[in-house]
Amino acid sequence: MVAKLFKSVGWLRRSSMLRLSLLLSGIFAVGMAIAIFVAITLGQSAIERRVDTSLTALAGATILAEVTGDSPSMIMRGTAKLQGLPRPFSRAVDRGGGTIELDDDFLRSDIWRVLVTRDSNGQEVMVAVPLEESEQAQELLAGVLWTTTLVVILITIVLGLIAGLLAQRRLVRVRETLERLAGGDLAARTGHARSRDDLDDIAGQVDQTAQELEKLVAQTRHLSASLAHDLRTPLARLRSRLEMLPQGEARSDALEEANRMAGIFDTIMRVARIEAGQGREGFENVSLRELIEELEETFGPVVEDEGKTLKATISEAGTVVADRPMLVQAMANLIQNALVHGGDEITLIAKGRSIGVADNGRGVDPADYAEIVKPMVRLDSARSTEGTGLGLALVRAVTARHGAQHSLAPLNAKAAPAGLRVLLNFANL
Amino acid sequence: MRILLLEDDKQLGPWVSGGLREEGHVVDHFEDGKDALMAAMGQEYDLLILDRMVPGLDGLAVLKSLRASKDTTPALFLTAQGEVAARDEGFSAGGDDYLTKPFAFVELSARVNALGRRRDGSENSEAAATTLQYADLSLDLLARRCERQGQPIELMAKEFKLLEYFMRRPGRLVTRTMLLEQVWDMSFDPTTSVVETHISRLRTKIDKPFEEALLSTRRGEGYVFGR
Repeated sequence: MVAKLFKSVGWLRRSSMLRLSLLLSGIFAVGMAIAIFVAITLGQSAIERRVDTSLTALAGATILAEVTGDSPSMIMRGTAKLQGLPRPFSRAVDRGGGTIELDDDFLRSDIWRVLVTRDSNGQEVMVAVPLEESEQAQELLAGVLWTTTLVVILITIVLGLIAGLLAQRRLVRVRETLERLAGGDLAARTGHARSRDDLDDIAGQVDQTAQELEKLVAQTRHLSASLAHDLRTPLARLRSRLEMLPQGEARSDALEEANRMAGIFDTIMRVARIEAGQGREGFENVSLRELIEELEETFGPVVEDEGKTLKATISEAGTVVADRPMLVQAMANLIQNALVHGGDEITLIAKGRSIGVADNGRGVDPADYAEIVKPMVRLDSARSTEGTGLGLALVRAVTARHGAQHSLAPLNAKAAPAGLRVLLNFANL
Repeated sequence: MRILLLEDDKQLGPWVSGGLREEGHVVDHFEDGKDALMAAMGQEYDLLILDRMVPGLDGLAVLKSLRASKDTTPALFLTAQGEVAARDEGFSAGGDDYLTKPFAFVELSARVNALGRRRDGSENSEAAATTLQYADLSLDLLARRCERQGQPIELMAKEFKLLEYFMRRPGRLVTRTMLLEQVWDMSFDPTTSVVETHISRLRTKIDKPFEEALLSTRRGEGYVFGR
C-alpha cells in the first residue's frame, strides 16, 4: 500500500508537465508578491499626499479657536498643546509629520496621518486624520490580489496535474509499447493520437521504428528461409553425389560429415525459428512429471551404456502450458551436455513448475554462465569434445519462447566437484 | 509402384528418379508444377513425391488442388524448409510424409515403401488387430503383453512401442529418423544414441535368448524386422 503510494508519487515527481506548472506557479507567486507590495506602497503614498494636501488646505482655512480639539474624524491642536494624545503623535510632530501606527485604537483608529502646518492665524498646528478607511481599502485590495494569486496558482497546478496525467497516460502507452517490443511482440504499436505535439511525434516515431523493426525481422526470417533453401539444396546435391560413389570408408566418412553439416544447419535454423516464434500455437498442457518420466525412460539406457547413471527426482511437479517437443529437445540437449561434459551421476529434476538436469561433474565457473548460453560459444575446456556450441543456445531460445527463466547453478557449491544444475523455471506462466 | 516426381533440381531429380527406377518403380519426372498437376489429374498414381519450391505451381499448391478434387493419392513432400511450421503446412495441405533435404536415398526409399503399403490398405487391417503376430513372436496390444515361443517378455513402454512399429512393417527398411519421429515424436536428432540403445535393449529381450534373430541392422541404412 505504502509502496504503491510511493510509486504513484514517483511518477508525479517525474511528470515534466507538473514540474513545469509548479515552477510557473512559483514564479507567478513571487511576481504577484512584488506587484502587491509595490501597488500598496505606491497607493499608500498617493493617499498620504492627497490627505496632506487636504489637511493643509483645511488647517489654513479654519479658525483655530473654534475648531481646535479632538474628534473621531480629525484632531487639530497647536503643536505646543499635545497633552492627552498618545506619544507617537508628539514624536510625529517632532519629525515634522508622517503616518503613525498606534498600539491601541485612539478615537476608533490606530493609524493616523499627522501633518504639521500653520493655520489661518499663522500658528503652528498639528492636524491628524485617521487613515482607517484607506487602510481598509488597502487591505481589501491586498486581500483581493492575494486571493486571485492563490486561485490562479491553484488553477495552474490543477491544469499542470491534468496535463501531466494526460501526458503520463500517453507516455505509459509509449513505454508499454517499447516494453512489448523489447519482449519480442513486434506487432506492438502506440496508436498515437495524432494531436500533433511533441509527445505525439515521439509516439509516431516509436511506431515507425517498430514497423521498420517488424519488416526487418520478417526480412531476416525470409532470408533464413531462403538461406535454408539455398544451402540445403546444394547440400542435398553433394549428398546425392556422395551416395553415387562406390561403397567404402571414404564414402561413409564423407556422408557422415555431410550429415553433421546438415545437423548443425538444422539446429541453427531451429534456434532462429524458435527465437522468431510468436503466439501459443502448438502449446498444450504438459505434465512435468510425465515429461521427466518419459525422458528418464528414453535416455536412461543411453546414459547407462555410457557407464553413468540417470535418475529422476520428482517433487510436487505441476503442469505447464508449453510446446512439448520443444521442451523435450531442450532437455535432450541438457542431457547430452551432462553426458559429454558432466559427471557420472545425472539427475533429471521436476520440482513445482521447474524442470532441469543436474550432474556431479566439475561444473562450470559461475563467471562463464552468461557466456556458455550464447550461440557457438564453447569454453576452452570443451574444445576437445564433440559439439556445436548450440545446445544451450537452443535451451535459452526455448525458455525465452515460453517466457520462462533458465538458471545455472553449482549442484553443490561446497563440494570439490561442484557439478552443474540447469533449471528451466515456468513459475511465471 | 507408379510414382509422380516433381523436382526441378537438375542434379537431385535424376538421382531420385534413377534410384526409384532401380528399385523397380515406374517414375514420371516433372520439373514444372503445372505439368505435374495436369499429369496427376490425367492418370492414377500410387504415390506423389513433390518438391515444395518449383517453378510454375509449387508442390503445396499442386497437392491442394488434387485434394480439392478428392484425389487421395499418398503424397510425400521433399523440401529444403526443415521448419516445423513448414512441415505442418505440408501435412495440413494433405501431405502424408515430409522429408527434409538433404536426405539419404534409403530414407526416401523407406518412406516411399511405407506410403505405398499404406495405399494397399494392408496397414488398416493391421491397425484394427489387437494382437500382432510374427513367426513365434506375439504382441498383445490390449494387454500390453509380449511373448516369444510362449515365454513372456517384459518390455518397457518405449520398447513396446518400438516393437509394435517394427511388427507393423515386417520385412521393410525402417530408418533411424523414422523411428525418432514415430516412436519418440522427436523431429530433431538428439545426437545421443537413443535409437541404437533402445534397439539393442529390445534385441537383448526378443532375440538374444532365442535361436533366430528377428531384428537386423542394415549398416548405414536402418533396421529390418523379419526373417
